[in-house]
Amino acid sequence: MSISLSKGQKIDLTKTNPGLTKVLVGLGWDTNKYDGGKDFDLDASVFLLNAAGKAGSEKDFIFYNNLKSTNGAVEHTGDNLTGEGDGDDEQVKINLSTVPPEVEKISFCITIHEAAERGQNFGQVTNAFVRIVNEDTGAELIRYDLGEDFSVETAVVVGELYRHSGEWKFNAVGSGYKDGLAGLVKDFGLM
Amino acid sequence: MAVNLSKGQKVDLTKNNPGLTKVKIGLGWDTNKYDGGSAFDLDASAFCLNGSGKVNSDSDFIFYNNKTNPNGSIQLSGDNQTGEGDGDDESLVIDLAQVPADIQKISFCITIHDAAARNQNFGQVANSFARVLNEATNEELIRYDLGEDFSIETAVVVAELYRHGSEWKFSAVGSGYRDGLAGLCRDFGVQV
Repeated sequence: MSISLSKGQKIDLTKTNPGLTKVLVGLGWDTNKYDGGKDFDLDASVFLLNAAGKAGSEKDFIFYNNLKSTNGAVEHTGDNLTGEGDGDDEQVKINLSTVPPEVEKISFCITIHEAAERGQNFGQVTNAFVRIVNEDTGAELIRYDLGEDFSVETAVVVGELYRHSGEWKFNAVGSGYKDGLAGLVKDFGLM
Repeated sequence: MAVNLSKGQKVDLTKNNPGLTKVKIGLGWDTNKYDGGSAFDLDASAFCLNGSGKVNSDSDFIFYNNKTNPNGSIQLSGDNQTGEGDGDDESLVIDLAQVPADIQKISFCITIHDAAARNQNFGQVANSFARVLNEATNEELIRYDLGEDFSIETAVVVAELYRHGSEWKFSAVGSGYRDGLAGLCRDFGVQV
């Protein structure tokens, strides 16, 4: 049932799922545990972007210290501190029908907290994935497994939900920045 | 955002535009903003095909290492290897009146250089587009948003100019391939 995406792929979401309004975006990852290293603290975040690809204000940056967007259309369900457990490590709920019209794109990202200080990057992270689930039925609609093509990145844009001709589509991005959260906020206009 | 002829649509070119001689294909895209990957190097190319849909020789394959055909009726601008700069990053100009008589069709293609090795496809390249213009008037005849209409593909046949009687017609092909330039060359009989 679920469609498995490859990097760069763009796929219809609402066009092929008429009536879809509420989705759950699940993000997950493993970390390689080596002895002598520091703990990994990975965080999912969401950026609500306008037509220029920029966040309107800091309220459009959804993360563990700002769990809900202004009108509640986007809700981060909380910070997983250990990565313990199978399946989604963190989840974001989205009501597609109430996302404000000026939000053209929703970018789902994972960052490594204090990556530079701890000498960590996504080259050390395996099995990262994003999946989109129909919140009403529980059916998984889309899954993108990021694979292991990472090296210097410390922040990754996993995928993006975006508007196209009145519908929502999903783009499997799987690319990132070497300067962590700073790289993301700079790209999204919040620096 | 893309204003284009319907895929598969064929239109008269010279019949509707008497005196039209030169057509320009423009190609543009954004540079790769992400770290850890390679630059996006998109290449415009043209295949000059005979009545059997094949090239007569490798000199009929116009690309970055062979920028003009023997009589100069087809000319490719330089090779932009990153997408730096606004507007068209590469362009191809065709002087229809000068195209040799045995060339029945000219196929315009866009490929991503080294796509397999760099693990790239059109879905990853931001704001990539191809457009076809009447070179004399700068009127845009066709535009394809390469990143929306194609995603996992690495080579696209944008359009074909072909003779029909004594006129040239235009076909909006918009078909993509996953095996890049090699696939196109094989299709058109170029020795790879």
